[in-house]
Amino acid sequence: MNTKETVLNILADLTGSDVSNSMDENLFETGLLDSMGTVQLLLQLQTELGIMAPVSEFERSEWDTPNKIIAKVEAMQ
Amino acid sequence: MGKVINVIEQIDSIAVKHPDWIAYDYLGTKNTYGELKAYSDSLASYILTQGLEEDAPIMVYGAQTFDMIATFLGVVKSGHAYVPIDRHSPAERLTMINEIANPGMCIAVEDLPVNLGDLPVLEGQELNDAFNANKNVTPNSFVTKDDNYYIIFTSGTTGKPKGVQISHNNLLSFVNWEIGNLGLPERPVTLSQPPYSFDLSVMDLYPTLVMGGTIKAVPKQVTDDFKKLFEILPTLGLNVWVSTPSFMDICLLQPTFDAEHLPALSRFLFCGEELTHATAQALKLRFPDAKIFNTYGPTEATVAVSAIEITDEVLKQYDRLPIGYLKEDTLGFILDDNGRMANAGAEGELVLSGPSVSKGYLNNPEKTDEAFFEYEGQRAYKTGDLVKIDDTGMLYYHGRTDFQIKLHGYRIELEEVNHYLNNDPLIQAGVAVPKYGKDQKVAQLVAYVVPEKNEFDSQIQLTVAIKDSLKDNMMEYAVPNRFVFVESLPQTANGKIDIKSVIAEVNA
Repeated sequence: MNTKETVLNILADLTGSDVSNSMDENLFETGLLDSMGTVQLLLQLQTELGIMAPVSEFERSEWDTPNKIIAKVEAMQ
Repeated sequence: MGKVINVIEQIDSIAVKHPDWIAYDYLGTKNTYGELKAYSDSLASYILTQGLEEDAPIMVYGAQTFDMIATFLGVVKSGHAYVPIDRHSPAERLTMINEIANPGMCIAVEDLPVNLGDLPVLEGQELNDAFNANKNVTPNSFVTKDDNYYIIFTSGTTGKPKGVQISHNNLLSFVNWEIGNLGLPERPVTLSQPPYSFDLSVMDLYPTLVMGGTIKAVPKQVTDDFKKLFEILPTLGLNVWVSTPSFMDICLLQPTFDAEHLPALSRFLFCGEELTHATAQALKLRFPDAKIFNTYGPTEATVAVSAIEITDEVLKQYDRLPIGYLKEDTLGFILDDNGRMANAGAEGELVLSGPSVSKGYLNNPEKTDEAFFEYEGQRAYKTGDLVKIDDTGMLYYHGRTDFQIKLHGYRIELEEVNHYLNNDPLIQAGVAVPKYGKDQKVAQLVAYVVPEKNEFDSQIQLTVAIKDSLKDNMMEYAVPNRFVFVESLPQTANGKIDIKSVIAEVNA
């Protein structure tokens, strides 16, 4: 599974929605993710992809759509 | 420090002796004990001129600010109980609480999102003038003994919230236990994270104030913004931490959240939901010398009634952490099928009796009689929590007897969620169930929903629309995290929704 698929799977599990057709949907504004959801997302990225996203540098605006999350993760790999 | 005899007078006596001590620090804006007394005295004196009925409570709407706690104190100094309502509550909840509580007035520290009809509202400049009127009051008017001190509304099963009445005696029992048994340092500097409508906040607020300490407010707009949160946390000089374990899980994501970067932090108090072994273990590694307490209690018995210090030995001994020993003045027991006290080692519903048990739900004799009774001359409350009590008196939590869950510390009645789901115009039928994580805690609330016919292009749009519409009526934390759309819900033989099979499917 590539990075994109892994991230989409994690997001599907967290939000209960298949977001692959809504890659630029704002996950926070739509209420699909909240702060505890974010914590679970960061933990899942850590377990499944070994990505350590420093939470103190976490800017919501840089992580608020599926496309942005994938770009972030790819940049950190 | 010795036992507190009166919470209000104790806080006042600090204000008289040390008016310059800092009581409240809101992100750098500091207010002293002197100001706390001046504001609350003047406000109490204003309320006393309003001719309210003697036992009418007062709704107080706002966020984690100094004006909010000055209002609480002003209200109890006037002899009334306050009903704290957080600013992130939906308008519908205010309307409903107004109907149930039959308050004498509302004090709006933040702008009200809804018109409360004929109810007198003190707000804005008028409230400021009342704070600054430089008036005095005498302790004669203060809330005392069995008078209600605060009333916190929890979720009810049919969408009607229940107001738990906590008296001065209830609060006093809790405060004396916390300051005597949880090893607080002198003049604690305490994190204030939960909103005041959640009674976990009482664990940081009153013990800190009666000890002349400082409350450090970290409001929701900061905790939601991790970058800001971790900028601010190390600057606060905290030595006492009070939060839900879920909030600690956020903090543990940050590698610099440790004793090296927060050297003063020496006490951690957890309540509101199960503290998992993993969270406690990780925290102990970060802060090897700190004292960590796991506490337990329902709102109906005033915040917390049991505690255990989580030491390395405790971590070694238990895979699932116990919830500790009861406070001295409280009796906890399990009744067998014949209504007799069961022997040690039995498992069953925990009953609590003692001076911190509430008199019941405000204006709701039916629900009060279901859960409260007199046991050997003391008020007793059936918690709905399944526990085991061993022969040393140690309590072990094993779950619920009903459909109440805790999600990130918030108490949610599934029946209430279902009530709102089934009343939503976009939903034909729905049921909410917990999805459990690896650690036995609820990780998410998942709704299985048969939607009404709709024109939405995608399930995401439908989900967003449903969430939006639910938020008008429900606390945000009780809105299901995930929606699964189905054509029909499984039913039991007698035609009811088969919740158990949905739970099994979600957790498969």
